[in-house]
Amino acid sequence: MTLREAVALIKDGDSVAVGGHTLRRHPMAIIHEIIRQGRRNLKLLGWNSGIDMDMLIGAGCVASVETSYIGISAFGLALNFRRAAEGGRLKVIEHSETTGIDMFRATAMGMSFFPTKTPLGSDLMQANEHLAEVTCPFTGERYAAVKAARPDVAILHAHTADQYGNVQLDLQRWHDNSVDAILAKAARTVLVTVEQIVSDEEVLRNAHLTVLPRKFVTAVIEAPYGAHPTACDSRYDYDLEEVGKYYEASKSGDAFKGYLEERVLAPADHWAYLDAVGLERLMALTRQRVVR
Amino acid sequence: MTTAAYTVEELMACAVSRELREGELGFIGLGTGGRAFVMAVGIPTVAIRLAQLRGVDFIAQYGVKLEPLIEEAPACFTDADLLDWRCRAMIPVEDALDMFRRGMMDWGFVSGAQIDPYGNLNSVCIGEQKHPKVRLVGPIAQTDHCAHARHTMIILPHDRRAFVERVDFISGLGFGDGPGYRERFQHRGGGPGKVVTTLAVLGFNEKTRRMQVESLHPGVTRGEVETNTGFALAFPDPIPTTIPPTAEEIQLIRTRIDSKGLFLQAKVC
Repeated sequence: MTLREAVALIKDGDSVAVGGHTLRRHPMAIIHEIIRQGRRNLKLLGWNSGIDMDMLIGAGCVASVETSYIGISAFGLALNFRRAAEGGRLKVIEHSETTGIDMFRATAMGMSFFPTKTPLGSDLMQANEHLAEVTCPFTGERYAAVKAARPDVAILHAHTADQYGNVQLDLQRWHDNSVDAILAKAARTVLVTVEQIVSDEEVLRNAHLTVLPRKFVTAVIEAPYGAHPTACDSRYDYDLEEVGKYYEASKSGDAFKGYLEERVLAPADHWAYLDAVGLERLMALTRQRVVR
Repeated sequence: MTTAAYTVEELMACAVSRELREGELGFIGLGTGGRAFVMAVGIPTVAIRLAQLRGVDFIAQYGVKLEPLIEEAPACFTDADLLDWRCRAMIPVEDALDMFRRGMMDWGFVSGAQIDPYGNLNSVCIGEQKHPKVRLVGPIAQTDHCAHARHTMIILPHDRRAFVERVDFISGLGFGDGPGYRERFQHRGGGPGKVVTTLAVLGFNEKTRRMQVESLHPGVTRGEVETNTGFALAFPDPIPTTIPPTAEEIQLIRTRIDSKGLFLQAKVC
């Protein structure tokens, strides 16, 4: 399946769980393609988000977000998110980091809710329609129930996969991205880009690196540097020059249209995007070259 | 004990470090850039290392990483360098955050855009949540720190924009609207412990649950604190002075713990 065909599975109005964490391993190649295909009214879900959601919001693809954080790390606030929220054009469902994970954990465990004490007494109870108070039948203790999320689609980026869709991660990786596998297990359709599709032999030899067996995966698509400009663990670093360019452009709606035109809409596909960024920049970010 | 010239950030780090005890565990979260990074990450990091160098076995947890070797902190905070930063454990993030819910966390080091007299914190919005005047980053793990940590160490620049009568959104629960509020929810965490600011060290009255001054930093006046606080504060009489850093502490900070200015000056290449 091509990236174009995979993204065509996402429909206007779908709920979409987005993998990644702060500026790490967001499925940017998929996000670019969603913008090229002009999806509208998406309901985004995540647990700790950044440029991934901000870009989709700035491109006009989003009706609501449900996460604990949208920021551009050291650069500061996410400005498309800020403009849309302040303009009253975006519904924001507030989570803490844990309740943002719990909504996926519940579904991944086959449950309809997840009990937690975290949000009790805070304003999250009012600002999140997916939280409700419950009582423990054994101790009588007060809890919040986090409603299980069943996203229409989950999108994520990983290191490798075989042709059947068994998705693997390198041993050397950030453990913040452990949530990627959980949100994938919660979704109906799961689209995964990988740095490299590897041989059957490679996966058979290193089965312990498989984080998502193919039963959970709808499609894997090879997209090297598919997380750019976010970081991909020990493989490549974030591209601060590109994130800085993005951040500057996001200061106004018009400038951001220019950024989208240049970086997302003008390149016909992911390969054209990589050409536009340039080989020299990509190689400078690369920390590890793997030949399989 | 001799004293040395010091910056306010060094003073704050020393003040925080004096609160840390043997066998405790503390959680440091994400820091955005510049000043916010110094408050959320830099000061607690230096404080923890100071305590450790005094012989206190204090465990620092930076999200998924436990016990990174602080003096080996990379000079460049590139993601790959941070990933390579040696530590004694890296665990899945849901497990890392469950350590809060289990009630294992002694200190949550937190910051925020607004704080009120009852120690409630806001990092969500200024104005109405549905149509905010300023939209901020969101609750992040602040809600977990405030619900579950045995106590929170709140580190903030002291000004009227932050110290307000009522926060616009409670993303981190302090003592709610006063006595009895927090207890109703049977949280495992005790709530706000200390507030260490650029002007003073503050705590909370056990009966009224309101913030009160415990000590003023050397050279700071009562009037200065009142001018920079948007609500009434109680002061002890007489008002103690925050213990200034010793020459030994300053030397440790500048030559061993933070020789590159990474933590207290946010010098990141």
